[in-house]
Parts: sequence; structure tokens; C-alpha cells
Amino acid sequence: MLKAAYSLALREVMRFIRQKNRVIGALATPVIFWFVLGSGVGRSLLEAGSRTRIDYLSYFFPGIVLLIVLFTAILSTVSIIEDRKEGFLQGVLVAPAGWAAILFGKLMGGTILAVLQALAVVLLAPYSDHHPDLRVIVYLVGVISVLAIGLTALGFLIAWPMDSTQGFHAVINLFFVPLWLLSGALFPAGGAAEWVRVLMRFNPLSYAHNALQGLLATQPGMPLPADLSHDFSIVIAVTLVLVMACAFQVSRRS
Amino acid sequence: MAAASLAAVEATGVGYAYGRKRVLDNISLRLEEGGMFCVLGPNGSGKTTLFKILSTIFALQDGEISIAGRSLREFPTPIRRKIGVLFQNPAVDMKLTVRENLRHHGHLYGLESYDLEKRITKNLEALGIEDRGGDFVENLSGGLRRRVEIAKALLTRPSILLMDEPTTGLDPAIRSELWSIISGIRNSRKLSVLFTTHLLEEAEPADEILLLDQGRSVASGPVAELRSSLGKEYVRLGTYQPKKLAARIRKEGEVETLAEPASVKVLPVRGTAAQMAIRLWRQYGKEVTSVTLCRPTLEDLFLQKTGRPWSSTPGEI
Repeated sequence: MLKAAYSLALREVMRFIRQKNRVIGALATPVIFWFVLGSGVGRSLLEAGSRTRIDYLSYFFPGIVLLIVLFTAILSTVSIIEDRKEGFLQGVLVAPAGWAAILFGKLMGGTILAVLQALAVVLLAPYSDHHPDLRVIVYLVGVISVLAIGLTALGFLIAWPMDSTQGFHAVINLFFVPLWLLSGALFPAGGAAEWVRVLMRFNPLSYAHNALQGLLATQPGMPLPADLSHDFSIVIAVTLVLVMACAFQVSRRS
Repeated sequence: MAAASLAAVEATGVGYAYGRKRVLDNISLRLEEGGMFCVLGPNGSGKTTLFKILSTIFALQDGEISIAGRSLREFPTPIRRKIGVLFQNPAVDMKLTVRENLRHHGHLYGLESYDLEKRITKNLEALGIEDRGGDFVENLSGGLRRRVEIAKALLTRPSILLMDEPTTGLDPAIRSELWSIISGIRNSRKLSVLFTTHLLEEAEPADEILLLDQGRSVASGPVAELRSSLGKEYVRLGTYQPKKLAARIRKEGEVETLAEPASVKVLPVRGTAAQMAIRLWRQYGKEVTSVTLCRPTLEDLFLQKTGRPWSSTPGEI
């Protein structure tokens, strides 16, 4: 089973690397987003009497890492719909390894891609006035990995019963973009309207964002943020629930 | 010792419904070990549903199936190790090379690397594509892709090969090439083969066929037996006015006639069809475009059993 899952994950990574436009799109989009939004909004806020331009670029950075993980993880599950359409999935379903291999292979593949890309963006951290040391990087990898597993599972859950990629993209725009907007990635909960604040409190991504933000803001030699373990436990718990939901869904034979 | 021969696949009373829509009803079949069985039927006859049940994708609803001596209901996983499956839609990854596809497939079955690489080479050779191992599947022609699929299905050394419309979308020359490869492999590996098709001529080489129509078994048995059950040879007259000609011939001779689009089928009541053909040619030569001496075909069997000509069913492109 493990070998089968590993092979499926490897296939996912190879497919990704061989489609150059996917690599460029996945990496460049969030970075352009970060730079344009960060610089643009930064300047507007400056005119409105806020502090300096670099502030928003810096505030926005953890949100961009979150966006990368979100997009890569969720979009990696589109391949389930394509595989089903093209017949590749049938070939896997009749193998003795069965559904468990498919689930873990896809989760692994999506997670590997998301973590690698998020780390590539973390390399830009110094340009946003963040200076993670090795200890922080290790924690970042931990949080990003669990987050990526959870988001891949969520994508899997949605993609599994679908038969069109268009439908899947519609769900992404309707569901995931607001989820990201309301995670604290764009603006802090503090100054928002009451109902937005309530939504943000119930959004599991808020905790992931808070964990990333806290970790990235940790200067070398400073202690880790106090609420990290609280935020991280919520991310782990939600991820576990999502993975179990996937297992339940896939184990029912169609 | 005259022991009863073993069945590679045996199905009895298989039924299947999508919700309330019943698509298979009381289907039985038996593929002998080392034999070749064809499930023949027009589009929408339930072939693919039956195939998906046999290949363990759909759960068995009604009836019983045993494959390689084991119950499909109870032991789907051991059965999966015994069958090689070729789907109608390509199940290879276009973005991977031929070898990578086969390697991936081997991993799904838990094969180890050294043995696996040897097997891959052997199977590519058997299919005549050993020089294509490094090519991306998306760059191969339709016929070569099919060969990759077959190499993949055979990689795990199955004793039973299941194929759903294996030649869909291929032109006739490539189709017959593929069939000769399959029959070669079948002989050298003692493989039992079950396949579905909507092409009448593809059913002919099978030991036995099951003729499906609208989810029901219309006829089954060895091809030769089915054909002989249809009776004697007959004559087909090509004409632009089939109804008028059929009526005239019926009035004049001891024959049965049947008007079909652009032709009349004439069955002798006495004497041979060959004698009748000459007589008809002499008598109606000016009104007909052709006179053909025919042996009953599976097409006639379908017409006789369902009352519809084969070509009137919605065909596939």
C-alpha cells in the first residue's frame, strides 16, 4: 500500500514539474499579488496617515505564504477529476492497493508540492522584513505541512464526487477565496466589523494564518509566540477531521 | 481424466440498476480457462456496466460471479491480482513516459524494482514497442497507446485479461494488427480473455459470445452454433425498390422474402440457395443491382432475436 501511495505521489510531483506553466503560475501569481497589493495598498495607507509603506508588504507576507499553500494544495486535487474523466483512476481502482493508496498518494503529492512552493516563497522573507532563523523554519515546515495535508484533503473531498473541472473552479472562487480573505491574510480582525470578526473566529484558516504570522515575526533569539501551540492544535484537529472525512468518502464503493 | 473444465469467469443471474433504472437483467456467462469470450452488443446494451462489475469497479448487486475460482462478492482483492484490465478510456498518464507508466502500475501491485524492470522490458518486447520506452505517451499514435495499455495490463501476469471495447477509435488496419498481437500473447501465456465489442466482425474469433441488447441476453453460445441455429444460406438482392420486388418474388416462387433497406433477403423453401441465386439472377437480373449468396451472420441473429437490424441501433462513432 505504501509503495503504491508513494508511486502515486511521485506521479503527482512529476506531472507538476513537467507542466512548466503550472510551476510558473503557482509561484509567480502569489508573489505578484504580494508585491502589487503590498506596494499599492501600502502607499494608500500612507496617504491616509498610516505609518510606512513597508508595513503592509510585511503584514501581507504570511498571507501570501498561506495563499500559496491553499492554491497548490487545492489545485493539486483537480487531477482527481481529470484522472476520473480520462480513465486513469479506474486503472488505480482495480489494483489491489485500492482506495487507501489513492487517498494517501494524493494527499502526499499535494502536500509535497505545497510545502516546497511555500518554502520557496519563504526565501523571500528578508525582503518583507522577516528574519526567520533555523528554529523558526523548522516550525514553519511543521505548520505548513499539516496545513497542506488539511487543505489537500479538503480539495480531495470536493473533487472526488465532481465530474467537471469547471465546477471545481467555481467552488474555489466561491468558497476558498473568501476563506482566505477572512483569515487575517489581508486585514487583521481587530478593526473589522463585528460579523466579519465572528466569521474570522470560526475560520480555521485564521489560526493557520496567526501561527504563520507569529512564527515569521519571531526575531532570531526571541521566544516562540505564546499562542502557537493553541493555533497549531486547531490546525491539526481540523486536518485530522478532514482526512477522516476523505477516508470515509473514498471507502464507499461507487 | 475427464474432469469438468474449470471456468476462469462464471457469472449467473447478474443484474444491475442505477437507482431505479435497470441496465442489466439476469445475465449469465462462462469463460473457460484459456478460452476467449466476447460480450457483443450495440451501444447502450449494458456491456460496459457488465464489464465494470467483472473488473471489480462496480459492486455486484444481483447474482453471483466467480473469477479464478473465487467469489467476487467475498474476495475482490485476491481477484484483482488475477485479472488484467484494459478499459475503454485510456488509463495511462499522458504526461509520463511509457516506462514510467508501467513502473507506476507495477508499484500499485507491489512489484519490486529489479523484477519490475525486467518485466517491463519483456512486456514492451512482447507488444513490439521496446524502442518506445522513453517516449511520452501523449506523443504516441492511438494504436501504440493501446499497445502500452495492453503491456500495462499484462505486467502483473494476470491469468485473465478483461478488455472493454479494446479497439475503440482505431482504424481497421490497426485494429486487426492489435487483434493478431492479442491472439499471439494469448497462445504463449495461456491467458483467458473476455472482451466487449460493438463490432460484429470482432466477435467472430471468440470461442463463445453473449449477445446483449438493452441489458438482456439475446443469445449466447459458440459462434458457429449460433450461426447454424439460424438455418440455411440465403440470397440477398440489391435493389432500389425492395418492397415491390419482395412482393413479386414471394408471389412467384416457393421462397420467403424480407424487404430491407435497399435489398431483399430471399430464403429458399426447397433446394439450395446457390441454385436459387442463379434462377433469381436470370429472372430479375434487370431489376437488381447485385445478387449475393450469404451465410447467416451475427447480424442476422440480432435481427431475428430483436426484430431490429443491427445498424438501426445508435452506433458509436
